[in-house]
Order: sequence, then C-alpha cells, then structure tokens
Amino acid sequence: MAVYEAGENSSWRLNIITQLRDRNKTQTHCYLDLISLHNRLFDNANTLRGENLQLSIANEKLRTEAASGVTGTGNNAALEAKLLAQADELTMLHRRRGEHTQQIVDLNNKLQEAMKELQLKESSLADKVDINNVLRAELTRYAAREKELENINQMLKDEHQALQLAFASLEEKLRKAQEENRQLVDRLIKYKSKDAEKMNEENDNFLNESFTSPTAFLMQTISKFGKRQAKMQKELEDAARDTRTASPDRGGTLEGTAPVIPSSLPTKIAMKFNAHEGEVNAVRWSPTDRILATGGADRKVKLWDIAKGSYECKGMLMGSNAGVMSVDFDSGGNYVLGASNDFASRVWTVADLRLREVMG
Amino acid sequence: MANDREVLREIWEGKVPVCFQLDPEEVYDLQAPDPFYLMVPRLSYFPLCTDKVRKHFMRHVQQEGQDKPENEMWLEFNGIPLKWHIPIGALLDLYHNDIQLPWNIVVHFRKFPEDVLMRCNNKEIVESHFLSCIKEADVLKHRGQLVSNMQKKDHNQLWLGLLNDKFDQFWAVNRKLMEATSDEGFKYIPFRCYISEDKYIQRLVKPLLEDGHRKTLKHLLNELFPNEETASVRTHGIIPSLDAPLQWLSEHLSYPDNFLHLILIT
Repeated sequence: MAVYEAGENSSWRLNIITQLRDRNKTQTHCYLDLISLHNRLFDNANTLRGENLQLSIANEKLRTEAASGVTGTGNNAALEAKLLAQADELTMLHRRRGEHTQQIVDLNNKLQEAMKELQLKESSLADKVDINNVLRAELTRYAAREKELENINQMLKDEHQALQLAFASLEEKLRKAQEENRQLVDRLIKYKSKDAEKMNEENDNFLNESFTSPTAFLMQTISKFGKRQAKMQKELEDAARDTRTASPDRGGTLEGTAPVIPSSLPTKIAMKFNAHEGEVNAVRWSPTDRILATGGADRKVKLWDIAKGSYECKGMLMGSNAGVMSVDFDSGGNYVLGASNDFASRVWTVADLRLREVMG
Repeated sequence: MANDREVLREIWEGKVPVCFQLDPEEVYDLQAPDPFYLMVPRLSYFPLCTDKVRKHFMRHVQQEGQDKPENEMWLEFNGIPLKWHIPIGALLDLYHNDIQLPWNIVVHFRKFPEDVLMRCNNKEIVESHFLSCIKEADVLKHRGQLVSNMQKKDHNQLWLGLLNDKFDQFWAVNRKLMEATSDEGFKYIPFRCYISEDKYIQRLVKPLLEDGHRKTLKHLLNELFPNEETASVRTHGIIPSLDAPLQWLSEHLSYPDNFLHLILIT
C-alpha cells in the first residue's frame, strides 16, 4: 500500500510543491529585496530627519550664543585681572611649598631621632628580657634547692626523733642503774651498822670478864682474838657466798688458843648451769666485775653475769673456728683473750662484745 | 506524520508585500504621510506585524484621544474591514481576485466598525484566540488529549515560534500535535471551508472512507457540496490537486492554528 501510495503521491505532491514554489517566487522573492530596501531607506530618512532637527536646534543655539558674545573687549580686562590674581596665587603657592619642604626636612630629622631612641629602647628592653629570664632560671633553681633543703630538714627531724627515743631509753637504763646503786649503798650501810653493833657487844663482854681472873682474862683475850679471827673468816665467806652465814663462834671456844689458819674448800654448789653445748674447757673471773668468762668446745666464749645466785648470759663472743681451750681477762677487765684449737688467739672487748684482734 | 519538511518549509516562508496607506480623511498633517511597505508572513495575523505601521502613522493623525480604546487601529481593503482573527494567508486567498501585489491596505484610527470587527487591544487576545483554535483542532484530531497533557511552556513555545517567525521552535512542539494516534490517522480532520469572507463550513469529516481507503480532497468537496461538480479550493495561494489525501493535507497544509483554511472557488 505504501508503494502504491508513493507512486500516486508523487503527482499531487509534486503539483502542490511546484505551485508553492511558484507562489513564493512570484509573491515573495521578487518583493523581498524591494521591501527591505524600502524599509531601510525609510529608516534612514527618519533618522536623517531627526538629525536634521537636532542640528537645526544646535545651530539656533549657537547663533544666539554668538549674538550674546559680541561684547568681547570688556572680557579681556577681566581676564587679565584674573591672570594677575592667578600669578599672585602662584607665587604664594611657591612660597608655601618652600615652607612645606623645610617642615618636611625638620620632621624627617625628628623622625630619625625618634627612630634612634626607639632602637635604644628596644635594645634595653631585650637586655631586660634577658635578665628577667636569668632571674627566673635562678628562681627555679632556688626553689629546687629549697625543696631539697626541706627534704634534708625532714630527714634530720626524723633522725632527731629517733635519737630522742634512743636517749629516752638510755635515760631509763640510767635510772635503773642508779636505783641499783642506791640499793647497794643501803645494804652496805646495813652491814656497817651490824658491824658496829657486834663491836659494842664484844666490848661489853670484855669489860665483864676482865674482873674475874687474869688467866681467864688472857683466855678471854685469846678467845676473843680467835673470835675475831672467826668473824673475819665469816665475813670473808659471807662476801664470797653472799647469803651464807657461818658461825664459828663455838668452835673458837673449843679450839682454844691455837691460831686458826683460814682455809676453805668449796663444799656446796651455789649454782649450776649449762654454759655450753659440749665440754667447757676454760673458766675465768673478771678481775673487776662479777663477770665469768667460759670457753667451750662449741667454738664460743660466753660471758656470764653472776649476781645474787642468779646467772645471766651477758654475751656470746664468736669468731673461733674450733673449740676454745683457754680464756683470760686483761687487768682492767675490758678485754677477753681466747685461745682456740684453730691455732689462733682472739681478743674481744667486753663492753660491746666485738672481735678486736686475731692472732694466728 | 508531518515529515515532509520541504513542503512545511515552503509554506512557512510564504510572505506577501503589503502597502499600508493612511485613510486620507484621517490625515492631520499638511501633507499625506508616505505609504508604508512591509513583507508579512502568510501564516501570521495582522496584529502581530503591524507595530511599525501604527508607529509610523501615529504621528500624522489627530493627537488627542489617541490612546483611547475606541481609537484602535484597524485595516480595510476595498471598503471591507479585514478580520484580524483570520490568518493573513486565508485573507489573501479570500480576496484573491481583487488583489494585486503589493496588497494595498488602508489604515484607520477612527470609526471602528464595532459590528463587523472584534476588538484587539493587545497581543494577549490574539494569543488566547490562537491557543483556543489549537485546542479545538486537537479535540477534533485526538479528543483533546495532546493539548491538555502539554505544559504551559509548550504552549508558550508554540506562540513565541509564531510571533517571532521561528520555524524550528514552532515545529518542535507542533510536530507532536500533528502525530496520528493510530493507523487511521486523525479522528476528524479540522478544516474550515470559506464560501465567502464571513461564511464558512465546518463539519466532522473522517480521514478514511467506509471501506478503509483514504479520503481525498475530492471526497471532501463532494461531501460538502454534492451539487457542485467542478468545485475546487484555494489555500496558501495555491489550488491543491483533488487527489491529495485529506490526512496529508491536514498534516502539512494546516495553518499554525492546526486548521485547514480552504476557500471555495466555483
């Protein structure tokens, strides 16, 4: 159908298109240029008319101006006067300019001075800043030191406190020692008084017996002497054994005239204690104090405080490498010498129980 | 489909020279103003291209009351007022026998013929007339679906294309309006067949015959004027062949308002 149509179409379509082209050719194209030219000319004419009008107006204006400008000679004088005034003004301006330049120079100098001053100030400021920094550093250093000192102070305080405590304890000890001393003095006084009493009694007895007979008196004297001997012995024993009291009064009367030689063998054990583990090789009294030094097979030297029937281990002196065979004090009772089976002798101090010397 | 660009282009470029002259009775100057010549497009309307004419003659008529609405400019040819709502090309075809190019038209500013002409104060009136014509044509062609689906900007583009004589701008939108929805073509062919200047026939005519063949111009004329044996029509200044199919004619030879303006010649 499309092909059929196309075939048929072409004739009427061609017809229409040729008619349209003819139409445009006769009606449009031949007039187009003409009309556009006409329009252009029309516009031109319009603009020219407008311009013409403007020009004529301008012309009119100029003409009126020309008419008014005829009186030109009067003008000249006015202009000259004006010129003169202008010249005056110019000279004045020149003068003012000179002044201004002078001012500018002055101001420049001032400015330079000010600049210099400013620089000076700036440098001093920099110095000050430096000093400030240094001072600040010092300040920090001092602060640190202060802190350090404070620490030290604290430490010293602590130490002081500790020492105070030690002092208090020592004082306590001193007080105890004084107490003991007092007790001893009391006892001494008691003994003395007892002694005095005895003496009195003896005197009484002697006075009573002297009047009976001279022999008896002699006898009495001898017995008295013997009694005195016995008393001395008793006192000695008393000192040795402390509490023990022997009363040889009656014996003295029995033995008669023979002078008594004092000798005593220890028959009683006052006290007994285990000083060492193993054998005890050596025993020695201190020459000054009531201190006993013992040396044992257990390689130790021990110091004992023997008083009033009690014993107390005062210290252990160590350092020997074999059993201690012998001990001794020096004459002042300050040192202890120990001889040991390890082929060496050692010296200790009694006061602080320290090994002082080793002699090999 | 309106795809015969050659034909469309030729039609679009159809212009005629017109010589406007002021009515001598209305001249208010010492001498009559020069006539004003202008090329006017056949597809356009007179109010769209007579701005310069009005400006030219305005200076030469009575000044007072010039802006009043009753002193609107109107055109006259051979003593007949020209209707602005008919495209210029259709007017040319109507008065074809009397016209000699350039077409002499007399310009009037007074005595507006109220009984013959519609008032046209501005171009918005022309625009609304133009768009209503397009809508009417679309109702005939597609039951109005295309125009109502278009956006305002498309309507604007149609109008501006016509106003500024821009072929591509106009046809970019108008092409859609010229599309046939089915194989049968348009529902009805929008056309106006003028018998005289103020009488035309407009009927519902389908583009196809009962047996499915396409109707041609001949079929249409037979339908409209059964008694006239030798009837033919003029449009766009030409007399199209009677064998031309109606659908094709409607797609290609319609004016911008989407109507075929046919002038009967006997």
